[in-house]
Amino acid sequence: MKGIRIAAAAVLVMAFLVTVFAQFLAPAGYEHQFRDQPEARPSLQHPLGTDQLGRDSLARLLYGMRVSLLLAPLAAALSTLLAGLVGGLAGCFGGWTERVCTLLIDLFLAVPWLFLLITVRAALPLDISPAQSVVITFLLLGMLGWAASARVICAGARNLMRSEFVWSARAMGFSGFRLIRLHLLPNLRGALAAQFWISIPVFIIAEANLGALGLGVAEPLPSLGSLLKEIQEFVTLRSESWRLLPLFVLIAVVSAFQALLNREKVRA
Amino acid sequence: MLRKLGFAALRLLCVMLLASFAGAVLLRIAPGFSSDEQELTPGLSAQSVQAIRDAKMADSNIPRFYARYLRSLFHGDLGVSQSLNQPVSALLRERVPVTARNLGFALLAGWILALGLALTSQLVRTRWFAFVADGLSSSFISTPAAVLALIFVLLRWPAMLAAALLIFPKVYSYARNLLHESSRMPHVFAAQSRGAGRLRTLICHVAPIALPQLVALLGVSISLGLGVLLPIEVICDTPGVGQLAWQAAQSRDLALLVNLTLIVSFVTVCATMLSDAFRSEPAGSAA
Repeated sequence: MKGIRIAAAAVLVMAFLVTVFAQFLAPAGYEHQFRDQPEARPSLQHPLGTDQLGRDSLARLLYGMRVSLLLAPLAAALSTLLAGLVGGLAGCFGGWTERVCTLLIDLFLAVPWLFLLITVRAALPLDISPAQSVVITFLLLGMLGWAASARVICAGARNLMRSEFVWSARAMGFSGFRLIRLHLLPNLRGALAAQFWISIPVFIIAEANLGALGLGVAEPLPSLGSLLKEIQEFVTLRSESWRLLPLFVLIAVVSAFQALLNREKVRA
Repeated sequence: MLRKLGFAALRLLCVMLLASFAGAVLLRIAPGFSSDEQELTPGLSAQSVQAIRDAKMADSNIPRFYARYLRSLFHGDLGVSQSLNQPVSALLRERVPVTARNLGFALLAGWILALGLALTSQLVRTRWFAFVADGLSSSFISTPAAVLALIFVLLRWPAMLAAALLIFPKVYSYARNLLHESSRMPHVFAAQSRGAGRLRTLICHVAPIALPQLVALLGVSISLGLGVLLPIEVICDTPGVGQLAWQAAQSRDLALLVNLTLIVSFVTVCATMLSDAFRSEPAGSAA
């Protein structure tokens, strides 16, 4: 099992390196069109061929990975922040604050996450610039994906508030923000970090789902989701199996995250 | 007991009302709400176009629309879908059974596969089996629902199998961990030391401990299945609730979307309550 974890770490490091150095590995860029070579098969010049518009598929894959792999952690950070705020408030203050926060959490959990995401994204404008679409997509992921994490944080904060060291801190006069900053936040850090890491692969997949339905990052900017959408333009996959490479990359990256997260779970 | 039930019913009601109201607000503020594609039909007279605009304007005040909707709801009237020109109740009567059937199949197949592998991994404790089962689970958990549906459509395989394969990894990983934890309890070691075989230990000592938590997981998997079915029904063009929700969101059909949100939130909250009833502490993940 140790070998699997090393392999998973290697896959992630390689994926991040490749995304960072995308402009050196694919100098043509993701939007340059080789107009005389649309839908080209893999060759030395284009190792993964070209798409219907003659754009280099390898370049689009590398830049797509950059968008998905660098922005999913940002969305995860936003969702963890919201989860920490709402869950922490509910767990620390209890009473009506907890009831209102729980209702808010229930409201977000009441509608399945993907259903909510697709409905909200479909209700937002689609004729926007690629950069705006990236920001909207990942902001939505962060703002709609916090509820399940908030439940975990709420339970953790509630348990901490009942613990002996918090009682003794309160007896010594600690209260309000000081109690939260000095006693609760340091003890909730582990739970918050776990929720952050768990959210990253979930958001990568959510973006891919949105992209595959045409609601993700706008053209010409690629993302793993928008690259997967291109699969539906090919009538048969059996004769052009290299078109599935973005899917295999996605599976490899998310599986690597899962393998490392399982390791953290074992440690905890 | 009665107080608990009353509180649960109140929570259910509040969440459903808030969820459907949020859905209505969202669609009202969405761009394109005030325009209707039907207005562009060349054969329509000026009066018809005005009638379409009046109908649209009647829905533009959200609190008034929602109050009117709730009043009609108590009289059993769910309104009329503007985009499909049909009563919402008729549409739901048509679509809900399709999604219920698909969900039932996906849950059944996903659970059989997941439990089968989780139980077998307890009996056959070899490294290669764990590697294959975990690899299979990891592959499907890492595949977006829409993409798997797309591949199944291209390969002409039954689409609902895709939903089952997406439910399977969550159930499998939870069930495997649960069975593993239950098998490390002191009474299980005692039974093993007295000569009980693996199968007997699993059936008599491990499974009964894990059963309530597995039932709780059933509640969660209903919500998961509904989420997974939406993109699958859209991609595979299956006439279910998921496809209807997609059409409602795209054509800004307020009446239809509010009802769908109400139904989906009702099913999900009930499933979550069932799940909560079987476990003492809430637990979960971003998934």
